[in-house]
Amino acid sequence: MALRDGTAAQALIDVRDVWKQYGPVAVLKGVSITLAPGQIHALLGGNGAGKSTLMKAIAGLVVPNSGSIAIAGTLLDRPSAARAQRLGLYLVPQEAHIFGSQSVLENICMGLDKPAARLRGRVEALVAQLAVSLDLDAQAATLEIADRQIVEILRGLIREARALILDEPTSALTPHEVEALFARMRALAASGVGIFFISHKLREIREICHDISVLRDGAIVLSGPMSAHTDAEIVTAMTRVAAPVAVDLSTAPAAAPAPGSERRLEVERLSGEGFSEVSFSLAAGEIVGLAGVVGAGRTELAETIFGLRPTLSGAVRLGGAPLENRSPSVCIDRGLVYLPEDRQQFGLFLDAPLDWNASAYLMHKMPFFLRPRDEARRFERFRSAMGIKCESHLQPARRLSGGNQQKVLLAKCLAADPQVLILDEPTRGVDVAARNDIYALIRSLAAQGVAILLISSDFDEIVQLSDRVLVMAFGALEGELPRGASVDAIGGLAFGAREAADA
Amino acid sequence: MLELFARNRVATLFVITLLTFGAIGLAAPGFLSASTLATVMANSLVLMLVSFGTMLVIITRNIDVSSGSVLGLSAAVLGLSLNAGIALPLAIGICIGVGALAGAFNGLLVAGFGVPSIVATLGTLGLYRGLMLSLTGGRWIEALPQSIKALAANLGWGGSVLTLIVLGVFLILWLFLRMTRQGGYFFATGDNREAARHLGIPVRSIVFSAFVGAGACAALAGVVFAAQIGFIPNQAGNGIELKAIAANVLGGVSLLGGVGSAVGVFISVIFLTAIDSALVFLRIPAFWNDFIAGAILLTVLVLDGRVRMAVDRRIRAKRYASHHGAERTKSPSRPSATAAPAIPTPHTAPEAGR
Repeated sequence: MALRDGTAAQALIDVRDVWKQYGPVAVLKGVSITLAPGQIHALLGGNGAGKSTLMKAIAGLVVPNSGSIAIAGTLLDRPSAARAQRLGLYLVPQEAHIFGSQSVLENICMGLDKPAARLRGRVEALVAQLAVSLDLDAQAATLEIADRQIVEILRGLIREARALILDEPTSALTPHEVEALFARMRALAASGVGIFFISHKLREIREICHDISVLRDGAIVLSGPMSAHTDAEIVTAMTRVAAPVAVDLSTAPAAAPAPGSERRLEVERLSGEGFSEVSFSLAAGEIVGLAGVVGAGRTELAETIFGLRPTLSGAVRLGGAPLENRSPSVCIDRGLVYLPEDRQQFGLFLDAPLDWNASAYLMHKMPFFLRPRDEARRFERFRSAMGIKCESHLQPARRLSGGNQQKVLLAKCLAADPQVLILDEPTRGVDVAARNDIYALIRSLAAQGVAILLISSDFDEIVQLSDRVLVMAFGALEGELPRGASVDAIGGLAFGAREAADA
Repeated sequence: MLELFARNRVATLFVITLLTFGAIGLAAPGFLSASTLATVMANSLVLMLVSFGTMLVIITRNIDVSSGSVLGLSAAVLGLSLNAGIALPLAIGICIGVGALAGAFNGLLVAGFGVPSIVATLGTLGLYRGLMLSLTGGRWIEALPQSIKALAANLGWGGSVLTLIVLGVFLILWLFLRMTRQGGYFFATGDNREAARHLGIPVRSIVFSAFVGAGACAALAGVVFAAQIGFIPNQAGNGIELKAIAANVLGGVSLLGGVGSAVGVFISVIFLTAIDSALVFLRIPAFWNDFIAGAILLTVLVLDGRVRMAVDRRIRAKRYASHHGAERTKSPSRPSATAAPAIPTPHTAPEAGR
C-alpha cells in the first residue's frame, strides 16, 4: 500500500523483477518494465514469450511468485482484478470476454457502479468517437468477432482507465476501424493515459508507439525508444535468429512454381447467406488470396463451400465432378478442407490432447478400436515438420500459445490429405516467427500441388503469398488482381464501394 | 406474436397457465373458484421457496440437488427446538440459520474447494439427510405446538402469514436480481465466469452467496412445511430438489447459467401445482400426477425449442436478405467517422440505405 519513492510514483505502472513459475517452468524471469503517463509502449514477443502472463500479472489476474508491481504508485500487494481496476488499470484481452445473454450495453457497463441505462449516453459518445457501428441493444451472443473486440475496447474506455493494456486489439478490426482506434489512442495518450500495446504487426507499432520492449523466454531482451531500433533488430531480438534471414518482411512474393492448369475447385454463381453470384476457380498448386474487410462475406462463402451453411443457388465442382449435398464430411472425404477463422470456438478441441486434435478430421475413417500409437506418430510427424512447441502429445490444446494452436489446427487439416485447402485468417494472433513458419508451410503445400484459397484481412499477407487475388466487398466478388498487385489496389477494391457511397 | 413468445419465456408460460386454467375450468366446473386458487397458492408455497433458492444457484451456472435434505434437516431442527420449549421466533431463526449454514458448506465446497456443484451437493444430499435422521433418531416429530400451525391459518382472504412471507421473498428476489448491481453479478458469473472475473466481479463470493441463499430458502420452506403439515416426517422434502429444478427449467431459467427471472419461476410453480390440483378435480387417480407433470414439462420445452429455432431461422434469413435484393445497391454497411451520430447496426444498415 505504501507509496514508492519519488521516481516510481511518476510511473503509471512500475513492474520490478517479477518472477512467475508454473511448476518447474519459469514463464517470467525477473521482468522489470515501466509505463509513464502519456506513453504508448509496444510489447512484442513470440508466442509463449510471457507477454500475456506479464500483462495478466499487472491486471491482477495472475499472482507472481516474487517481485513487485505498482499501479499509479500503489503497490499491488494483494492482486485481484477488482483492485487493479480500482487503481485505474484495464486490460483489453486478446479474445474478447462476452456475456452472451446480456445486451451489448450491459456487457460494456458490467462491473461499474452506475446502472447501464444511466451510462448509455457516455457509451454512445464513445461509439461515435471510435467511428464504429454497434447496436447497443443487441444480444451480445449475436456479435461477430470484430464487434466483440470493440465491446472490450469500449469497456476500457468507459472505465476512464489511467493505464490501458491492449492485447492485440487490431487483430479483428478493419483498417478503417484501426485508424479510428489509433486516433482515440493518441487522444488518450495526450490526456495522460498510458497504454501498453501488444501487437504482432510491426507497421502498426511503428505508427502508434513511442517505446518498445521485446520479451523472449520470459525476459526483456530489448527495450528503448521506437525510433532507435530497426525492424530487423526487433525481429532478431524476438526470435534470436542470428541474422534476420528467416524473416520475410518485404512485400515481394517469393517465386512460386507455375500453377498447373488442372482445375481443382470451381465455384459457379454461388449464392448463400451474406453473398451472391460468386464465381471463381482454383488450379492445382495455386494460392489464391481472398481479400476483403470483415463482413464482406468471405467467411460465409467459405462455410457455404464447406457445407456448413445452406446454399441458395449455384454449384461447386471439385476436381471436375460436381460436389452436391455438401456437408463437412463429404468435403473432407473428397479432399476439400476448411480451416476456420475462430480457432478457439470452431477449430480445436481445447481440452483434448494434441495428437487427438491433429487426427480429428480422420475420426470417421478410424477403425472401431482406436490406435493411439498411430495418432501419436502422426502428431509427432507434424510436430517436427512444423516446429510445434509443446510438452508432449498428450498436452491439452488449451495450454498452447496462439501460434502453436494454429499450427496444430493446420496439422489437423493436413492430416486429411487435402487437394483443396481453404484457410480463413490463418495467422490471426500469431507472432512473426510462427507466422513465417506458416507462410513457408503454405508455399510448400502449393508446391506439392494443393490448391489454396487464402482468406485474410491482412493485405500484406495476401500480397506476399498469392498468385492471384480475389477481392470481395458487400457479399460480391468485386474484382480479381494478378500476382504482384499492390496493397493499395486491393484496398481500393475492398473499400471502393464504401468510399463511393460516402461521397 | 411468435417472436414475443420466443424472446419472452415468461409471457409464453403465463399464457399457457391461463389457457390451462381455462381448459380445466371448462372440463370441471367449479375448478375456477377463489377457494381453488387459494388452495393452489397454499400448496405451491414449499416448492416455490425451494425453487427460488435453486434459481439463485442455477443462474450462477451451478446446481443444488441437496435442497430437499436441507429442508428436512432444518425442519427437524425447528421441530426439535419447538418441542424443547424454545419460542417460535427464535426457533425459526435457528432453523433458517441451520439452512444457511448447510448452504454455506455447499458454497465452501463449490466456490472454495472447486468441487463441481453436482458432485458436492449430491454428497451433501446424503450428508444432511443422515444428519437429520441422527438428530431425530429416525422418529417423526409430532405434536408441534399450536403457535407454528397458526402461521398457516387463513387470514380471511384465502392466504396466510406464510403466503405473505413467500410473496415478500419473491418481491425481494425480483428486486435484487433485476435492480441491483450485485444481482447483475449473479447473471454475469453464470453467463461467462472468466469474463466476470476479468471485470473484477468477485465470482467466488457470488457463487458462495448463491448457495447460502439457496440454503436459507430451503430452510424457510421447511418452516412452511412444518406449519402446513403439523408434523415432520423422516422423508420431509425428499425429492423436492428435482421438482425445483424442473420448475426452474420450465420457468425459463437456463441450466447453462446467466438467464432467468423470479417471475418465471413463480408462474411455473403455480402452473405445476395447479395441474396437481386439477387432477383431483378431474378425478384422475393421484398416481398419474408425476406422469402428467413430466409429460407437460417435456411438451412445453420441446414446443418452446421449436418456436425459438423457427424465429432464429427467420431472423437469420432477414439478416442476409439484403444481399439478394433486386440490384446490388452498394450501400455502406459501416458508417464512416463523419456519419457517426446515427448508429445503425451492421445488419440493418444496408436496408436503411436503400
